[in-house]
Amino acid sequence: MKIRAVLLALLCGALAVPAGVVAQDKPRYGGILNWFDYGDPGRLDVHAESPLVVQQATAGVYSGLLHWDPDDPSKIAPDLAERWTVSPDGKTYTFHLRKGVKWHDGQPFTSADVKASFDRMLAPDFKSPKCGASLKPLVASVEATDASTVQFTLKAPVSYFTGAIASAWCRVAAKHVLEKYGDLNRPEAQIGTGPFKFKKYDRGSVIEWEKNKDYFIPGLPYLDGVKQYILVGGPTQVAAAKAGRIMLWDAWPPMRKTQADEVKNARGDDVEIYRWPINTIFVLYMNSKRAPFDNPDMRRAVFLAVDRQDLVAKALEGAGVPCAILDPKLVGDFALPLEEVNKTPGCRQSKEADLAEAEKLVKKHHPNGVDIEVAVRQVGNYVDRAQLVIAQLRKIGIRGTLKTHESAAGYASFGKGDFQMIASQDRAMDGTDPGDVFHVVYHTNAGSNYAQLSEAKVDELTDRAARETNRDKRKQLYWELQRHILTSGTTGAVPVAWVEGFFFRDKKLRGYKPALTTYDGNTFMKAWLAQ
Amino acid sequence: MRPRAVAASAAAPALNRPAAVRARLTTLATIIRRQPLGAVGAVIVFALVVVALLAPLLAPHGPKETGFAPYLPPSAAFPMGTDQIGRDVLSRVVWGARLSLYVGLTSVLIGVTLGGLWGVVTAYVGGAPDSGSQRVVDSLMALPPIILALALMAALGQSVNNVVLALLLLLVPTAARTVRAVALSVKEFPFVEAATAAGCSHTRVVVRHILPNCLATYIVLVTTNVSYAIVVEASLSFIGAGAPPDEPSWGGMLTAGTQAIENAPWLVFFPGVAISLAVFGLNLLGDAIRDLADPRLRGGLG
Repeated sequence: MKIRAVLLALLCGALAVPAGVVAQDKPRYGGILNWFDYGDPGRLDVHAESPLVVQQATAGVYSGLLHWDPDDPSKIAPDLAERWTVSPDGKTYTFHLRKGVKWHDGQPFTSADVKASFDRMLAPDFKSPKCGASLKPLVASVEATDASTVQFTLKAPVSYFTGAIASAWCRVAAKHVLEKYGDLNRPEAQIGTGPFKFKKYDRGSVIEWEKNKDYFIPGLPYLDGVKQYILVGGPTQVAAAKAGRIMLWDAWPPMRKTQADEVKNARGDDVEIYRWPINTIFVLYMNSKRAPFDNPDMRRAVFLAVDRQDLVAKALEGAGVPCAILDPKLVGDFALPLEEVNKTPGCRQSKEADLAEAEKLVKKHHPNGVDIEVAVRQVGNYVDRAQLVIAQLRKIGIRGTLKTHESAAGYASFGKGDFQMIASQDRAMDGTDPGDVFHVVYHTNAGSNYAQLSEAKVDELTDRAARETNRDKRKQLYWELQRHILTSGTTGAVPVAWVEGFFFRDKKLRGYKPALTTYDGNTFMKAWLAQ
Repeated sequence: MRPRAVAASAAAPALNRPAAVRARLTTLATIIRRQPLGAVGAVIVFALVVVALLAPLLAPHGPKETGFAPYLPPSAAFPMGTDQIGRDVLSRVVWGARLSLYVGLTSVLIGVTLGGLWGVVTAYVGGAPDSGSQRVVDSLMALPPIILALALMAALGQSVNNVVLALLLLLVPTAARTVRAVALSVKEFPFVEAATAAGCSHTRVVVRHILPNCLATYIVLVTTNVSYAIVVEASLSFIGAGAPPDEPSWGGMLTAGTQAIENAPWLVFFPGVAISLAVFGLNLLGDAIRDLADPRLRGGLG
């Protein structure tokens, strides 16, 4: 963890995070924080859903066993568990729970609630795309040994278990609420132990939380409440930011440079704009089960031809780290050094040699070039990105036609493998473990392995690295894995860039720090408003 | 009228050419004097057609070429600046003229023709078939036009030709209703009765006697609806349901421009001006043609 703390400090310096974000004055009580969701969550079950808006809608209502420290977002801190111990073989984690904690409806919190929540997410037939998906491969059983102790037995020792448990998706829900409602979708089922109570949900309009006066940390929270306006579309969000209707922009989609400039022009010194990584990788997928990308040569041609630097410069307005599978800013030396990454085929500049080889590969199989459909969801600026990709591939004889999907419809067709190429898909990591991206994108069983590619070597290295407890050996395994994907060039998921973005904070908002994933740091338990 | 004019010009060939040219110029001058706004419209529309036809020669770059820096303000090298992914806006505006005219003309020519024929035939047949077909027209016209087009685009997918199809669905019922009204009155004229009495077949009555007398309405419908079609295409593209985003559609360019309206206003200004100018020109021309085709208005103005 030390390395993360150092990295975060460096990151703050390097990215010139405004001093105000980190600075602490004497906190003041009262006030409502106005914030926004990029879409209407619709469903609210944090155990069963995966969109960021669901997590945001309920973030302050629940607590986890552990969480990423709001004061130091690189550190895992106790939440409902006041401490934990690990058995010598590394397979048993014992969590000692806080006593005297009450649910928002007044019922006492016990270990039975923890067991009910995790049993629910770990049940083989229960679809839990975030917490459940990350814990199912690790956890053998969860037992409540007494009213305030819970024991997790792992299938094998893994180095990142506490990080996985600290995820903002592994929230503890009340057993009696789960029994009463069956799921956590309804607003009335939002009974947590968090700093805020769920007050109101007007579909498509606003979500409100109010202060939990019985919060288990005395003196917190400072705010009287939080209002999340549901603002769909960049222009609406920017307009709200310019008008001062929202006080914070810390989540996906990040602002582009031009939007940040607009907000700065409108709000002047009232706001601080900062550039921040959002632990999200921009991936271009090729379907390895369908022509022409069932052919490794064609995948390699695309891998060589895609100009990552051009995409970062134009589509991300320079805010991104091109080519890398792991971003050193987020995972430190687990990431292959960027000097090495930048010399690999497909990434190196200039592109002439790579383009010539790519064109040769396409000609070998398609002497007259080939027509493909390039799919993309109509969110963020994916459509712009897709147009750039199409223009780049035209140079090597791949003629793309753009096919746009509504967001949810796009996910549905990508999940079914109903596409040839997805020009752009951002994948957000749930934590800051170097293994996350491989479990999310590259492993055969990865939730976002849209390419449907199964490579024995990738699977084997990913699994070995996850189990490895020696840090240096683990690092070597991840380096080998990154080198394999970057040099073979036949992957179905081209790592285009780690996305960074521009965000803003109203200077009145204090006690808030941006987290290392887009999902964490949204409970606002320590946030307060200055006069 | 027409055969006589042809005979006159055939009888006096080369000798009278300067006189004929002069006569035509005089006619043109009279029209311009009577319809000065129409003449302005004609010039704008002519320019639009020229730009559309010569797009490959006039545009300095390809409409989908992304090789330049994004958000460059207008300059000598890029008179209309570059867009968010580094495409030349001038080139896209020029190619946009081609797309707008293609969509406008094809949809209107096909739509108004089909609708016109439908109107004439049902008016002539009359009775239950006419009344039945009018209920179909009613139901189509009851649907809000943009919603109807949106639903169709959602079902068919994004492509320029699907925009044309969606527009057909909007234009056919309107044209059918308008032309039917004219055909109903033409049908009552004595010459139609005479033709029927003389033993002409139904087809002959419709084709030789009713259709030609609905031609003025048809022409007015065509000219006034092209601008409507262009606006609908731009609106559909603006809300992301029209031409695919990489096609140089003026409406689509506006959408992309709204994302950076403060820092890069040229992204909405130039396509916006193009849409307004095209619609303005087509409306002026359409109005003038309507006035010229209407003998009452023509007399009044003379």
